[in-house]
Amino acid sequence: MEEGGVNVIDLTQADESFIKELVELGAEELRECIQCGKCASTCPMALAGLEFFIKRIIHAANLGLRDVLLEDSSVWGCQSCNRCVEICPMDVKPYEVIQAVRRAAMKVESCPANTYEGLRNLYRFGHAVYPKGYEERRKKVGLPEKPPTAISFDELRKKYQEVLKQTILEEIAPFPLD
Amino acid sequence: MKKIGFFLGCNIPFNRPDVEYSARYLLNELGYEIVELEGATCCPAFGTMPSLDLVGWAAASAWNLSIAEEKGVDIITGCGSCYGSLNEARYHMEKHPEIKEQVNKILAKVGKEYKGTTKVWNFINFLYEEVGLDNLKSKIKYNLNGLKCAVQTGCHNLWPSRAYPTNEENTFYPTRLREICEAMGGVAPHYSTITDCCGMGALRSTASEKSLALFKKKLDVIKEEVDPDVNVMGCSSCLLQFDAGQALLVEQKKLDYKIPAIHIVQLAAIAMGADVEKATAMASIPLNGVITKIKGGN
Repeated sequence: MEEGGVNVIDLTQADESFIKELVELGAEELRECIQCGKCASTCPMALAGLEFFIKRIIHAANLGLRDVLLEDSSVWGCQSCNRCVEICPMDVKPYEVIQAVRRAAMKVESCPANTYEGLRNLYRFGHAVYPKGYEERRKKVGLPEKPPTAISFDELRKKYQEVLKQTILEEIAPFPLD
Repeated sequence: MKKIGFFLGCNIPFNRPDVEYSARYLLNELGYEIVELEGATCCPAFGTMPSLDLVGWAAASAWNLSIAEEKGVDIITGCGSCYGSLNEARYHMEKHPEIKEQVNKILAKVGKEYKGTTKVWNFINFLYEEVGLDNLKSKIKYNLNGLKCAVQTGCHNLWPSRAYPTNEENTFYPTRLREICEAMGGVAPHYSTITDCCGMGALRSTASEKSLALFKKKLDVIKEEVDPDVNVMGCSSCLLQFDAGQALLVEQKKLDYKIPAIHIVQLAAIAMGADVEKATAMASIPLNGVITKIKGGN
């Protein structure tokens, strides 16, 4: 995609099957969008100046522009804040379109590297955010070195890993689930 | 004694254990027995399982919810993302029985079950509704003494309201956190960008400069319209941006003032006599002025 978002829409790239895929991945009301722009009026991505923000993402999704959507990293900048879901007059649930695009992107490994880092941490430690040196920080405030979460209970953590192994993570993860 | 399950998440126990210390102190002072949710994990964060698959997200959340169900308690969390992810997963499972069924097939293999009996609170709604402002007021040892607060409720504490058991009367004009600060003796005016996003989270990871610029835009409005003694947070991710993120902007010479930031559980715990050193141990922007104002007022 050229810098500056979708400047020229090339309808020869439209792929009807991609629209169906997104609907199946959770964007059930995608086709109801009337491009009114209310979502963009509240979207942090738009306010922050990301060129390819919610309204344009939904536009591209409705045109079936698979490559445009999967090559741009904007969907990964979405804050999941759900302002768009709250404000949409057509109940499109725009955030669910973002999630559907992310899910489609994950299937073809088209996501930022830190996405895998979060997933790897989630699987290994039970925590997507697992920064070094936390034991010292906890000791400083008089708390036990490890919190009473899965990180403190090996058996429970293994059970949680068994749960994750039965999800789509088993097919998608580019790291071993062992 | 009333019981409550304290859901820690990731950022609070690992990055801001001063918030965990404060939340524990606060809940004890309010007369709640904290039930540890042993084996709890990440909510899961929106960039992980929710971005892969709905059933996988629901299963990962249901793992956490089932721990509280087994202990017969509701959940409270100081992190907006945890509040959002757990409640949204719960909403999807209640709305779509077939998802709940698939989740329970997965959980059954490790001897667990999700029933849907546990409510998930954030501290704002808990203090406002379950504790009540008059009751909260009666527990205060140090009145906030007119401390001027600019509040930040946080996105996930507000939207999507369809998924939440309780909420503000108008989610685009939130007042609950302001009322909580005022009940403790603070002053907490409305300001025009009160619902704007802080920029922490996926935006910060994906487009760091744009995220911090978005945050600065909000901060400048707060400075101009409120000029507060402190920014009061309803969410631990917002706290990271308002504290460490603001310190970074100052370091980069993109900001020429500093406003300290505090999570509502830290502020309330200090007002109830918590150890100030422990309650503010991880703050990048010193809170000395705030503490002096509170402690000087009694």
